[in-house]
Amino acid sequence: MRPCSPRAARLSSLASILAFACGGASVGGAREVIQNKGSDTLVNVAQAWAESYSEVDSAVAVAVSGGGSGTGISAMINGTVDIANSSRRMTSSEIGAARANGTDPVEHLVGYDALAVYIHAHNPLDFLSMQQLAGIYGDDGTIERWSQLGIEMPGCPSDEIVRVSRQNNSGTFAYFREAVLDNYDFKLGSHDMHGSKDVVDLVAHTPCAIGYSGLAYATPEVKTPCLAASDTCVAPSMETALDGSYPISRPLLMYTPGDPVGEVKEYLDWVLGEEGQCIMLEAGYTPVAPVECVQ
Amino acid sequence: MTTAPMELFAGTPRNARDHRVEWLVRTLLGMMTALLIVPVVIVLALLVVRGGSAISWEFLTTPPVDGMTAGGILPALVGTVWLVAVALVASVPVGVAAAVYLSEYAPDNWLTRSINLAIINLAGVPSIVHALFGVGAFVLFFRFGTSILAASLTLAVMTLPVVIVSTRESLQAVPRAFREACWNMGATRWQTIRRIVLPNAVSGILTGIILEVSRTSGETAPIMFTGAAFFLPFLPQGVLDQTMAMSLHLFVIATQVPDAPDALPFGVALVLISMVLAMNALSIGFRIYVRGRKKW
Repeated sequence: MRPCSPRAARLSSLASILAFACGGASVGGAREVIQNKGSDTLVNVAQAWAESYSEVDSAVAVAVSGGGSGTGISAMINGTVDIANSSRRMTSSEIGAARANGTDPVEHLVGYDALAVYIHAHNPLDFLSMQQLAGIYGDDGTIERWSQLGIEMPGCPSDEIVRVSRQNNSGTFAYFREAVLDNYDFKLGSHDMHGSKDVVDLVAHTPCAIGYSGLAYATPEVKTPCLAASDTCVAPSMETALDGSYPISRPLLMYTPGDPVGEVKEYLDWVLGEEGQCIMLEAGYTPVAPVECVQ
Repeated sequence: MTTAPMELFAGTPRNARDHRVEWLVRTLLGMMTALLIVPVVIVLALLVVRGGSAISWEFLTTPPVDGMTAGGILPALVGTVWLVAVALVASVPVGVAAAVYLSEYAPDNWLTRSINLAIINLAGVPSIVHALFGVGAFVLFFRFGTSILAASLTLAVMTLPVVIVSTRESLQAVPRAFREACWNMGATRWQTIRRIVLPNAVSGILTGIILEVSRTSGETAPIMFTGAAFFLPFLPQGVLDQTMAMSLHLFVIATQVPDAPDALPFGVALVLISMVLAMNALSIGFRIYVRGRKKW
């Protein structure tokens, strides 16, 4: 008889746990993966692109991660992404850091985050300063009535400004807060809509209302006053968004290490094509060029 | 008669007061214990009530669609299983080996004490710091890229102290007399460990591993920058792929997806917590089974 007779070690159950864990994942063929990381502003539209692109080219998988523009840019500098999303341009020191690591970031403009202020078509208001806009929407703002802006709004006997805003997890809400309110709080009591189009629809039917939404949602039933950050008042349009003179607009960019080739190039071409740009429009952003989309 | 001792000793006022205090303390401590289960019950009830409607077979077996506002969670579910499995493969052998050394071989000197101190401190490092370490070490230095491998190794480093501490404790719970008896029969240290100590400690070791699984599957920070993707509707093919994960998916659905249906984040949370509870139940069941066979 051996000393210390063996007791059955039941480590086999550990093995079975591992076997279960590995068993569930053996579906699908080999795919080319495009790493796409960065801006939280772009992450939803990047996700929508990735989702639709799997139907365009099933051999390519686009892995989308958020984390912010800075996350995407530093991943570009470290060479761990194929496409970095950013809602700001890379600074010269960031470009220098990337070049020092042997990557030359190439910028691709894929759209704009440009917000227009919407008012009822009969509203006589033609221009608005950024201070006035902050006075209407900001928590410490004192502008509550149309008469405080020096206008008399027909069809709005109460004279009260009805503020239309967005739900607080939308990118539009976050960007308006940053660009107009300097990250201070919104005044309470606004009507918070759940879609870019809903804002415009409500304003079109409400004479007392003012709202903000993506520039591309303008219809003949609403008016978009020009905005003055300084002395000149700039009307919202794709041209003024493009040249940067319009105060609430920022470019949405994708960076690639060097000129894109192969699958990445095909993906970017698709993003900039009609289908990709319509997805951008649907997500509430402004395409780089006018597109015809089926609603 | 059961009340006889009371009648015998309940004579003085001081005795009566002692009994009142005793009752009070007991009730108070009991209530505190009851308080512990209140959050668990509330969380579970809330998840079932608000997220139950989201759960279906399709929810578990299809990828998300429509801007992640519809469809299922399959890639995230499978991704979490991958992350946990690879983390276990990395951490369990190292952790158990280290614990065996510390418990059975290590002399009680300054080196052992400082290793123990290091383990305790490693357990206290916040998970986001582990994430930064993971990015620096596994993603960039070892060039694993953002991958399951990098994320799982980060998780493994983070949960290593749990495995070491629980394994060491279960090894030390094996009575010393067992070892001495074995040594007296002429067995070496390794024979003793292999045939006596480890088989008797296996339920405790397994508990530690299950604890690691629970913690690993819920962690978000360490995987966010090392391997988990916001959206990747395909199942991973190997350890160098990126993947979606339940914890990050929950965070994303709850904070970054506009117009997600209300039941969706609750449904994801319900599946995640069910996974963890199922693992815990498995470990408890196994322990009861092993304890039933124990002869001491």
